[in-house]
Amino acid sequence: MKKFLVSVALLVAVSSLVQADQSKKLFDTHIHYSHDAWDMLPPKEAVKVLQKAGLTHAFVSSSSDEGTQLLYKEDPNLIIPVLRPYRRRGETNSWYRDESVIGLLEERLAKYKYAGIGEFHIFGNDTDLPVMRRVVELGKEYGIFLHAHADAEAVENIFKQDPQAKVLWAHSGFEGPGKIGEMLAKHPTLTADLAFRNEHANTGTVEKDWRKLFMNYPDRIMIGTDTYTPERWYYVVDHADWTRGWLEDLPADIAEKIAYKNARKLADWALKK
Amino acid sequence: MKILLGAATGLWALCGLAGTGVTAEIFSEQERAIIQSFGPWPLSLNADPSNNMSDNNAAIKLGKALFFDKRLSKNNDLSCADCHDPNNSFADGQALNSDHGDAIRNTPSLFNLRWSNWFGWGGEADSLWSQSIRPMLSPEEMALTGEKLRNLLDEDRLLASQIQQVSGVSIAAETDEVLFVLIGKLLAAYQETLVSEPTAFDRFRLAQETADLSSSTGFSNSAKRGLKIFIGDGRCFLCHFGPMLSNGEFGDIGISQFISKGKIDRGRYAGIKILKSSPFNRLGKYSDNPEKVEKTRTEHVTLQHKNWGEFKIPSLRNVSKTGPYMHNGSLATLADVVDFYSNLNEERLHTQGEAILKPLSLSDTEKEDLLSFLRTL
Repeated sequence: MKKFLVSVALLVAVSSLVQADQSKKLFDTHIHYSHDAWDMLPPKEAVKVLQKAGLTHAFVSSSSDEGTQLLYKEDPNLIIPVLRPYRRRGETNSWYRDESVIGLLEERLAKYKYAGIGEFHIFGNDTDLPVMRRVVELGKEYGIFLHAHADAEAVENIFKQDPQAKVLWAHSGFEGPGKIGEMLAKHPTLTADLAFRNEHANTGTVEKDWRKLFMNYPDRIMIGTDTYTPERWYYVVDHADWTRGWLEDLPADIAEKIAYKNARKLADWALKK
Repeated sequence: MKILLGAATGLWALCGLAGTGVTAEIFSEQERAIIQSFGPWPLSLNADPSNNMSDNNAAIKLGKALFFDKRLSKNNDLSCADCHDPNNSFADGQALNSDHGDAIRNTPSLFNLRWSNWFGWGGEADSLWSQSIRPMLSPEEMALTGEKLRNLLDEDRLLASQIQQVSGVSIAAETDEVLFVLIGKLLAAYQETLVSEPTAFDRFRLAQETADLSSSTGFSNSAKRGLKIFIGDGRCFLCHFGPMLSNGEFGDIGISQFISKGKIDRGRYAGIKILKSSPFNRLGKYSDNPEKVEKTRTEHVTLQHKNWGEFKIPSLRNVSKTGPYMHNGSLATLADVVDFYSNLNEERLHTQGEAILKPLSLSDTEKEDLLSFLRTL
């Protein structure tokens, strides 16, 4: 009888482990569905990719925004729209000098619901240009976050314009864990995504300095893939698997926050849930 | 003394250029140093420590025979030489080979592979012998099975005995895997001898080195201007450097990964996965170097996000003879390649990825000059 109980206990334990693997939630904060992806990967297929990766939600921003709306229509529960100020992806280096972008943003924000503005590319003092200043104002007016692919200087400048701004720092500025920690300490409304970063888990386990960052700021870090070309959509599943792998190296409660809870909290705040 | 040497160098440059009738294309000291870094050619011929049969004359001879032997394919209808044609720089001149099934990657030239660290567009192999096994086993290519190979060696006792004699391995007692490794190593021994001849550019480089510019008459003024672009504003030499004119690694220049709708070539990303799991890599038991000193590179390869869509940066030696270009053969001519870089589509590149890649925006004359230079390689 004792043997049988042990076997049952083992069976339950194994079952729950399998269950846990299957139910490891991920919220991807860095998905783009831009104009050149629509033909090769129609919305229905794109959503299937995200579902196959086991994502609970995804922040989607696209060049143009039409791509985001196409995906949102396909699965409004999975897709959380973020408004990108680009009509084409090639505008990464020119958008902040193009004042017609302001009208575009105002028009889209009035028409559709968004959790944020971004992902946009901005560096150094280009934050002082009128387009970027208006972006910061719009973030405040609508109570939504700014997804900024920016260096630390530009992030600082955004906070100078609005100390209460909610900024999701894309790729964590390609900075090391020390600098990211410093910025998170200085700006309580700053959060950080890890898209296109490997350094924190090059060997599949979490590196020492990054672990310290994750333990110090468990409520501020999020994960993301970055589908910057159509082909990158085929990487979403691999990326999700890799992410689940290194998250296992963290305490479960912290892993869950980084995996999806922090992004969920940001989305709920922006969508006033 | 230093001043005297400097003055002498300047004089040499001026005299040399005057001797060839060139007045416009004076290379700076820094440019001359970069030009010298593209040689000497050929490099020294060191044996591959992971292959006991490397640089063995009997193995080279036997490997050559095997290279042309169609019996190494499932239906006795395909040899290595059928795609790697000796009359076509050991390539096939096609964008994607369709003579023996539908290839998804361009057939690369086999010249100068002995100096490569990675093999295949995705770097699926870390030795020439390991790479030579791949097409034999590939169902889309030679589709050779262990059983077929064993039957071949049973039937052709002379071949079997030659392999045993050269390798020192008693093949009857060995596994199929060992047989493939032996054939791969013999094929590699032969392919290591495929070294391209010195070119017009090599003669120009040597002439610069020895200050004997009379021996570099095949290098036109247009080629010199093209060389200036290559090592200057074009930044080509940042990836295509050294005597091989390649860093031997991988890059993403924005060439499409789509094979067809819904089908993707994962490039280096898949290459690393295949390399790491291969029983034939340098970390495995089939490497002949007990010290395995050369395994370090393979040991330290880790999978990175950027590897998705990266492909091998090819050597530019003989580049005018090895078209079509790119991993999928999507650029038919060298002029198309120059146009591609001139109008590079930055939308396809990650802002943090290949930071050195910018559209070259070349004029028609500059394009012609760059082409003139590339044709001398």
